[in-house]
Amino acid sequence: MTNYIIRRLLMVPLLLIGVTLIIFGMLQLLGPVERSALYVKDFPKNDKQIQGIITRYGLDEPFLKQYGIWLFGVKDPFSGKRDGGILFGDFGYSRTASQDVIDIVKNRFPNTVDLALWTIYPMLSVGVWLGVKAAVNQNKFIDQAARVYSIIGTSFPTFVFGLLLLMLLYAGPQWFLPGKMSDWVSKLVFSGELKQYTHLLSIDALLNLRFDIFVDALRHMVMPILTLSYINWATYVRVTRSSMLETLRMDYVTTARAKGLSEKTVINEHARPNAMLPIVTMAGSSIVGLLGGVVITETVFNYPGIGKAAADAAAQLDVVTVLGLAIFSGSILIVSNLVVDVIYAFIDPRVRLA
Amino acid sequence: MTEQSEMIPTGDNRMLDEVHSDRKITWLEKALGTENYRIVKGLLKTPASVVGFILILIFVLIAIFAPVIMPPVDKDPYKMPRDGYSGEPKAPGAVWTRKVPDVPFWYEPLTGKTEMTHVLGTTQGQYDILYGIVWGTRTAFKTGLLVVAVTVTVGVVLGSIAAYYGGWVDNIIMRITDIFMTLPYIMMALIFSAVLTPILGRSLWPPLIAMISFGWMGYARVIRSDILSIKERDFVLAAKVSGVKKNRILFKHVLPNAIFPTLVLASLGIGDVVLGFAALSFLGIGTDVGYADWGQILSFARNWITNLDRYWYIVVFPGLTLTLFVMGWNLVGDAMRDILDPRMRGKS
Amino acid sequence: MHNNDEVLVRVEDLKVHFPIYRGVIRRQVGAVKAVDGVSFEIHKGETLGLVGESGCGKTTTGRAIVQLYKPTAGHIYFRDIDLVALKEEPMRLMRQNIQMIFQDPYASLNPRMTVRDIVAEPLVAFGLATGKELDDRVRELLDLVRLDPDFMHRFPHEFSGGQRQRIGIARSLALNPDFIVCDEPISALDVSIQAQIVNLFEDLQKDLDLTYLFIAHDLSMVRHISNRVAVMYLGIIVELADRNEIYENPLHPYTQALLSAIPVPDPEHYRKRSRIVMEGDVPSPVNPPSGCRFRTRCPKADQECEKGRPDFREVLPGHFVECFKVELPAHLKEVTTEENR
Repeated sequence: MTNYIIRRLLMVPLLLIGVTLIIFGMLQLLGPVERSALYVKDFPKNDKQIQGIITRYGLDEPFLKQYGIWLFGVKDPFSGKRDGGILFGDFGYSRTASQDVIDIVKNRFPNTVDLALWTIYPMLSVGVWLGVKAAVNQNKFIDQAARVYSIIGTSFPTFVFGLLLLMLLYAGPQWFLPGKMSDWVSKLVFSGELKQYTHLLSIDALLNLRFDIFVDALRHMVMPILTLSYINWATYVRVTRSSMLETLRMDYVTTARAKGLSEKTVINEHARPNAMLPIVTMAGSSIVGLLGGVVITETVFNYPGIGKAAADAAAQLDVVTVLGLAIFSGSILIVSNLVVDVIYAFIDPRVRLA
Repeated sequence: MTEQSEMIPTGDNRMLDEVHSDRKITWLEKALGTENYRIVKGLLKTPASVVGFILILIFVLIAIFAPVIMPPVDKDPYKMPRDGYSGEPKAPGAVWTRKVPDVPFWYEPLTGKTEMTHVLGTTQGQYDILYGIVWGTRTAFKTGLLVVAVTVTVGVVLGSIAAYYGGWVDNIIMRITDIFMTLPYIMMALIFSAVLTPILGRSLWPPLIAMISFGWMGYARVIRSDILSIKERDFVLAAKVSGVKKNRILFKHVLPNAIFPTLVLASLGIGDVVLGFAALSFLGIGTDVGYADWGQILSFARNWITNLDRYWYIVVFPGLTLTLFVMGWNLVGDAMRDILDPRMRGKS
Repeated sequence: MHNNDEVLVRVEDLKVHFPIYRGVIRRQVGAVKAVDGVSFEIHKGETLGLVGESGCGKTTTGRAIVQLYKPTAGHIYFRDIDLVALKEEPMRLMRQNIQMIFQDPYASLNPRMTVRDIVAEPLVAFGLATGKELDDRVRELLDLVRLDPDFMHRFPHEFSGGQRQRIGIARSLALNPDFIVCDEPISALDVSIQAQIVNLFEDLQKDLDLTYLFIAHDLSMVRHISNRVAVMYLGIIVELADRNEIYENPLHPYTQALLSAIPVPDPEHYRKRSRIVMEGDVPSPVNPPSGCRFRTRCPKADQECEKGRPDFREVLPGHFVECFKVELPAHLKEVTTEENR
């Protein structure tokens, strides 16, 4: 078991190096002039200044040397302090957002986490429940309906679904709202009245015992949650259904029935737990995916998370920002994949022995 | 002569009446190979996949006959014609005044009018939605087929090399695949697209290249695991014993038997690629504003969020088209997956 | 024994070990010793039967001889050429002399190829015939195995198990090999078909002057076709003798136990013979017992058997046993070293 964890941990630096190399490689496709934006806030006007920046940050040095500089930064010849460096959290400066990229991360990532938090349960529960029901009642109406749903669901593009939701639930009746918070809430947040314990709006609202803010936060999240969930429901219905069908065919299920156990017990205690194994792997991936920044959903609903930040920067071709956010996302994903793999090894003993 | 054993096999050498099938093999089966023939037959029997095929066929026809269905107005048919420059979208049925195309053959019988109108309405900037949908079909096929063809090729080549040569080659290729798979697809496609646009200019190429770069991994993995399992099968060993050279074994024995799951993935992949491309267009990456592409049309809806109930047609028509397109491919792909799944075989 | 004393195949101390990796950096912690020191000769024109339980290493031995597995140690001489030392291309050329027939008739034929292509493949691989000449040769081969040559454009799935096995045999004969390793060729077939196929094997051997290594676990079938029989246990040969000798006078306790387990239709005989029952399960080939490998299940084992592996020695003319506890029937005398044939 420990062996597996150690081996898995050793992969992390390898993955990080690989990811950073890829991102860095993309960065190198730009010329030195654009890349100077990585290091300076105001874009210098004349050539001499630009050349100075290029020399100072080694922007025309060979690939590997630049990779090193990008990771570790350079030493300021005058003050002796370190300047720049991905490993030290300096992801550069975003010209489109007018702030350091790391600040973008600090402001936006908690919102993405907030959304992910509330999406997990709805996303997993409905699909699985429907899949089990469909398998148990094979070929009856609910099964056919579930299968139709799974086909349509996986074909429906997320942004179209999102737009439809906006059309039906917002444009007309205004039950649910896009964005993150209503104006009156943001006033409270910015004035500091709402104490930020976790920087997650919904949790902070609860911790501050402000249920009105809490409701407002949820109201803004309902549509994104629905959008993120429905496509997962479609996939989970299909996978759960086939996994459940396969499990129900197994001999030990027939034995359980022959022993005289009630059908309910057979399904809930014998078949379902075993059928769930492939679902658990998928669930891990889905949750990890939520953290990676759900670009499209956040953009459709104007939700200020990491995904939207990346989309906004990309649309304006702010490559530096975009790459900085990519590094951040990549690192988060590597870490969360590790956590999921380890948890999975606890659950399924076969994995450890592989 | 020493004692015989208790079990004496018959000394009779005549061949007993063994059962073999007198099934007629059609030329089609000979051409496709038995496995593939079975799959095609299965697909034609499943109602879901038949529906899928019909959908795909409809779209193919639309793509082929685009110039006849909605005659182009501009030199570049992919530029959606603009009826003026007003910012307010017009509802379906509004009269078409500027840059009017020739009246297509189906127009009068279907609508009963002689003057051209915007059958499905316009977006802001007065781009005709129907035109965009019709010509967008061509865009969808172009991009979908291209990306799938390239990613499958890249994936199969890499996966085959990894599986067949093994050792450190396998290790390196698989680590690279792992690294690429860790990264979130849409975000990376977005990012790479954004990086490439200043270099290649605003065209289809940045998003296409971006999607190809991050879309090959699934195929590499699948073909690799299939090859690894087929490599050990008896008929492959028999070919080795028969003196067949290594390369020929790979191409004649291993690959043809291993390629099928990959093709299933590929057929589903077209739907996903078109979805992805539409998503990128929706976000503003890739095609120019006004290019005939479904995602592009949908991106106009972003400006009218508060009034979407009034301008519903900007969302519904292209959205429906996109959904049906993807659904067609998904239906066929799903049916194929069911047929190939050995556990389902007993059921047909 | 055989008139022709030419040694066609000589296996010398063959070992095939499959490494096991464990731990963080995947070091090798042990090995599955599938074949752990096997030696024998096969003379031209004879059939050597190789029997043993599942997992004793007989299939691995067969595949190692054909170089489908790379031996970990030892030599395999075919007419004095060491196959183990050959590089890839020279070994490929050697395959014109050494062929193999596989156990599973459903897995050994490529489902996408016609019978004609399957049987012709060896000829194509060495460029020996093309076009009409190739077709004629295929027909000839199908005839040899008693299949209707008109079936050559059909696919394997249209044939029964026995017919498929014949196709496999036809394929192995295409290059006119001298030596064929038959890896349990009848185990997967129905009993009635088994007899036909075995007869086919014998006829082919006579007509084409073939030499066989016949691997099987059905002792009575092996008795019928073999000239000599080798018995394997846990990666080594425990007994090797003439066919009749081994069935009438088994000296190794393992062989005795195996033979006593053969069902006998005669109730009188059944009651009269003594049944030897082995205790326990087959030990793991990763860690075979020290000393004599069979001692953990042997009814005759004692402390002497723990001390070391017995020599594989010729106890009677042509009869080799690896055991400390060989008991000769009263009327036979043990062969001393000076009297060695």
